Amino acid sequence: MLFNSLQFLVFLPLVVILYYVLPFRFRWVLIFLASCWFYMAFVPKYILILFFIILLDYSSALLMERLRGKARRLCLWLSLLSNILLLCVFKYYGFITFNIDQIYHFFGEEFHAPDLALVLPIGLSFHTFQSMSYTIEVYRGRQKAERHLGYFANYVLFFPQMVAGPIERYEHLGNELKKEQRPLYDNFSNGFRLILFGLFVKMCVADNLAIYVNQVYSDPRYYSPVQVLLAVFFFSFQIYADFYGYSTVAVGAARLLGIHIMDNFRTPYLSRSVTEFWSRWHISLSTWFRDYLYIPLGGNRVSVPRWCINILIVFLVSGLWHGASWTFVAWGAVHGICLLLERFFSKLFGREEGVERSAFMNGLLTIKTFLLVSFAWIFFRAESFVKVGEIFEALRGNAVDAFVPQSPFFALLLCALLILSDVLVYRSRADLALAGTKPVYRWAIYTLLLFGMLALSGTQKYAFIYFQF
Amino acid sequence: MHLFIFSFDRMVAKIIIRLVLLLLIVTGLNFVYVATFYERDLSEYGKEHKLIRDRQSTSDIYYFGESSNTSYATNDSLKTSIADLMALFYPSRTVLMVNKEATHAGIYRNWLNSFDPDGKKPAALVMTLNMRSFDAAWINSELEAPLQQSTVFSRPFPPLVNRIFLGFESFEKKDLKQRDEQILKNWEETKLQFPFPFRYSTVREWDRGTADPGFRKADGSWDAEKTQLACHYVKTYAFNITEKNPRVRDFDAISTWCAKRGIPLYLNLMAENVGYADSLVGKELVFLMRQNRDWLVRRYSTDNCIVVDNLELVDGKDYIDQNWTTEHYNIRGRMRIARNLAEQMKKNFKHEYKKAY
Repeated sequence: MLFNSLQFLVFLPLVVILYYVLPFRFRWVLIFLASCWFYMAFVPKYILILFFIILLDYSSALLMERLRGKARRLCLWLSLLSNILLLCVFKYYGFITFNIDQIYHFFGEEFHAPDLALVLPIGLSFHTFQSMSYTIEVYRGRQKAERHLGYFANYVLFFPQMVAGPIERYEHLGNELKKEQRPLYDNFSNGFRLILFGLFVKMCVADNLAIYVNQVYSDPRYYSPVQVLLAVFFFSFQIYADFYGYSTVAVGAARLLGIHIMDNFRTPYLSRSVTEFWSRWHISLSTWFRDYLYIPLGGNRVSVPRWCINILIVFLVSGLWHGASWTFVAWGAVHGICLLLERFFSKLFGREEGVERSAFMNGLLTIKTFLLVSFAWIFFRAESFVKVGEIFEALRGNAVDAFVPQSPFFALLLCALLILSDVLVYRSRADLALAGTKPVYRWAIYTLLLFGMLALSGTQKYAFIYFQF
Repeated sequence: MHLFIFSFDRMVAKIIIRLVLLLLIVTGLNFVYVATFYERDLSEYGKEHKLIRDRQSTSDIYYFGESSNTSYATNDSLKTSIADLMALFYPSRTVLMVNKEATHAGIYRNWLNSFDPDGKKPAALVMTLNMRSFDAAWINSELEAPLQQSTVFSRPFPPLVNRIFLGFESFEKKDLKQRDEQILKNWEETKLQFPFPFRYSTVREWDRGTADPGFRKADGSWDAEKTQLACHYVKTYAFNITEKNPRVRDFDAISTWCAKRGIPLYLNLMAENVGYADSLVGKELVFLMRQNRDWLVRRYSTDNCIVVDNLELVDGKDYIDQNWTTEHYNIRGRMRIARNLAEQMKKNFKHEYKKAY
């Protein structure tokens, strides 16, 4: 079920009402059933994969708690490898066999892997990562194994964040799910604000930008350099609006149930460096990689060359996590290299930490970061390196310039609105910023958001981009 | 506890007040929408609704059609549509052609909502009755989603509500895989009914039986093109129309709508290349086509409704697409159908009829 569907707008209030009407001891059952219903609206049979992950990690954690030494470690590895294997089969099987085929082809041989014709279950990368974080924490002794299968199942399945995050830790979400929530006006009002804002950002901003972007990216050879450049920038805003909108609705929907889940974005395009960007973009994934990959690799407490390798490994894996294609790996590599170069120049010019820069300098750095990130998105958005090449060729002015996409002015206005909202919530969040304004202004903003969402939404409903991961 | 109940009541009251306020805002936004973006959206997503709404006061006869109405051969001396040719017979009446490719009764049914009940009453409605629109492939066509999208603004709700339906894509929208599955299921599972013994009981079996052995060219080699066309004829026309067919439900609703308002309805059954179906597949397929025609004529011929039977009216050579099943005719074919339609319409417009050709 998509957040931007009428079914969800009926489903959510029903779940919220039932949640508060039911006695506390039955609420986990409601959340479980509602989450299953929500997920089964996509491809019903894939719920079995989720049940497998739940049972696997639930039992692994219980077992790990009893075991010590090598047996405990073996148990962890078996659990992690099972999760990764699942991911490999459903997400990377085609990618792996394609590459083996290419290698065979290089040596003049033929390789025929069976075509499994598997469809990637929606949000599989999110479930597996969330579940894996739990088993790792139990192994490390920071988290007690959950004995109530229902609560653990709800941790993996919790419908507001099950298909595209935020990737929560059990320590936080598990506890939130166990709290006896009372219906509080603050939760309802903030939840409503977040959902309204999130849907506006997704349906009005992202879906309208998608029209221009899809048009140009479908065949960039036929557009002028300015049009292609606009499409590149528009995609930066589209993917942000798409994922930010989704995450905001997720936080809002959970909030209606009194459950707090983490923010996944904090005005990423106002970052002054790529490092800062990654502390503001898809925060739950960045922290996951930090805690479960970067630090175990040694983090920054290693030699400089080793540290550089660690950074690159994290970004390459992050790229691969996003999609089973070399273009995603390249996207990760670009970010990794940019981050290393930034650190290098930062050391070279010897600016001390804590020293404030001028506003002008900050502005320039923000623009620099936005440009770097936007050009990196080309690898993310293009389906192949051929397409990446076409984009860069078109940017150099080698296009035929025959097609005219729709007027970019509305899209530019939407981008400006998004930047403005980011500036306004720089140190806050949409719901909190709104709560702090005078009622008249607040309701005026609701009215504008409603109008944008209802009357100016894109007429082609695009699934959330991150659902494919 | 007492304090909680008190604050709970206050909270519910607060929420209700805000919900009412939101409802009022949405009502107000409806007016803002109509004054700002509504016409722009109609021009893009509700052309037919806009056309009917804008021209109702000056139109008498409405012709709801699809590509059969407007397709023409490149060498046609006249490119005139069937609707316009028919209009030549009734010069005193204004005919409004509402046309969109691949439409069917399910779409026409929605267009009826575009008529203003307080506006000028239509003198007659002519609707294309395309036999192929009853087959599984058309019912589950990938064109269905854009067609359904184009009728959202015809729904009987305030403009902003319809715009919400458009934004949330609240219309039938199956993906390609689902559609293909539905078509295959129908071809595999629906039993064909014949009053005589026939070796194939489903479309799937008939299709396979046609493909193998298939057709041979004069030199003895396999004629892939002709075999494919024969199979396509089987898949297109081999079905029995029953009450369960969604198109029947649509035509039933249209017929009732017209009868209730006393608006004469003409269902213009389009010609099919029956002769070619006979030579390519055989008499059993022709039997089904004629049986379906008879079923439609029987069901919809009432005091208020006439089924204009053109099924075998057009000669095989007058079909534009000789290598596919379409209802696209050259000028000779279109003129024949328009004249037949005009003749049938004399029942209600006897004094206005003027022989045009």
